[in-house]
Amino acid sequence: MPTLSLSQTVQAVASGECSAAAVLETCIARIEATDARVNAFTGTRFDAARAQAAQVDVRRARGEPLGPLAGVPFAVKNLFDISGEVTLAGSKVNRSHPPATADAVLVQRLQAAGAVLVGSLNMDEFAYGFTTENTHYGPTRNPHNLDCTAGGSSGGSGAAVAAGQVPLTLGSDTNGSIRVPSSFCGIWGLKPTFGRLSRRGSFPFVHSIDHLGPFGDDLPGLALAYDALQGPDALDPGCFATAVEPTTGSLAQGVEGLRVGVLGGYFDAMATPAAREAVALAADALGARVAVQRGVEWPDAAAARAAAFIVTASEGGQLHMDSLRTRAADHEPLSVDRLIAGALQPAVWYVRAQRFRRRYRDQVNALFRDWDVLITPATPLAAPAIGSEWVDINGQRLPCRPSIGLLTQPVSFSGCPVVTAPMWPGGTGGLPIGVQLIAAPWREDLALRAGWALAQSGVAQVKETVL
Amino acid sequence: MTEEQTLAYVHAAAVAVDLPLDDAQIARVAVHLQRTASLAATLEDIPLAPHDEPAELFCPAPFDQPR
Repeated sequence: MPTLSLSQTVQAVASGECSAAAVLETCIARIEATDARVNAFTGTRFDAARAQAAQVDVRRARGEPLGPLAGVPFAVKNLFDISGEVTLAGSKVNRSHPPATADAVLVQRLQAAGAVLVGSLNMDEFAYGFTTENTHYGPTRNPHNLDCTAGGSSGGSGAAVAAGQVPLTLGSDTNGSIRVPSSFCGIWGLKPTFGRLSRRGSFPFVHSIDHLGPFGDDLPGLALAYDALQGPDALDPGCFATAVEPTTGSLAQGVEGLRVGVLGGYFDAMATPAAREAVALAADALGARVAVQRGVEWPDAAAARAAAFIVTASEGGQLHMDSLRTRAADHEPLSVDRLIAGALQPAVWYVRAQRFRRRYRDQVNALFRDWDVLITPATPLAAPAIGSEWVDINGQRLPCRPSIGLLTQPVSFSGCPVVTAPMWPGGTGGLPIGVQLIAAPWREDLALRAGWALAQSGVAQVKETVL
Repeated sequence: MTEEQTLAYVHAAAVAVDLPLDDAQIARVAVHLQRTASLAATLEDIPLAPHDEPAELFCPAPFDQPR
């Protein structure tokens, strides 16, 4: 059976063209054939998945209503609780934790929609990284070039979709951890508005900035999954949405009537020529339908990146103080010193960053009085080789790992929703660079509409890999 | 902070929070802290008035809950 995309799978299972069991077996075969090279998965649960898929097929045979994602195989970053399994969050330290007693809320919602959970996925330890170079579980490799990083921290989530192992995954994004793997792996990703989706049942990193969201191999499927993930959660103090706001019904409106701008200033200065080309391709494709204005100035972007860095370091470091005191040697060597530095940094830095955030939020929200969707690269460059220590961005020699998030951190610190669209500029050796489609808080619908328009134009697409 | 001052700060702060660090760790952590210090300096350039409060404040209980 040929590999089906996310929305094709939904249609094929709903129509009876394919059984959920057959779809699942195709995915399992693909995982078994490719994951020794990609290293996206840290755990599989094929028997449980087969039972779930069989239930979908039984329901269909009985003529019972199916959920909107019936028969869609999915996998989750291993910071999501899966009942009966230890939630590793990419760490060795967490191996001694008891198994989760329930699935994370978002896992429950996807399963309630009929999706079939296949396994858990690799990540940077405790989500503190942009490359998924995990010393404990090995690096996740980019399916488009196995020598390159898949991005992080949700690298397994990005690579599993790009490799055609599953059409849908879940990840988290604090400073770019959905958008970076989407960009490097050439797939679709959605970082919703901060506070949109329940985080209950996921292992935290930075309470003030953590977001959860989906990855997918086509845009309509991504929107469908996002709609299934929505819902209030009174038990999650970080879930502010009180109602479901479906997006799939408005996708086909595209960018008609929307004001679309391209970010300049900081976002242009920190982008390599290939990343700028990715944005130009997107802007030109959307500009065929609307007037796209270039050079829109995002307020205080450099300061926002600094504030996000400081808040992340403080909260992330504080969260792990117990194990840093007693088991520092069991932490990831690539991030343990950063965690410690964060735990020790002066409180005045942290408090000032949080006070800045209100002013910053108000300035960003004011920008959206004039714009509906803003475009910028998701990463300054295409995926670097695994192990890279330095990168060159327009003549500046910068440390590789933190610099990957230069263009994502200011945006997530504002809480705005972002769709990452897979673009294919030249000069990257065939690797993708994603673009961020940014909308005002709670307007995921507009970012998804812009994504739909890019997909329709053909410039944003998921491509075959080298596997 | 100079490199020497940063090393001294890391050493003292680690003692304050009961975090055992050897000299090699202190040196590595200090490199990260110096990088963060330069980022913190950029935030100092953003003017904040005394009434500029953090984005989210503690709420003792929902205002509209039954009393």
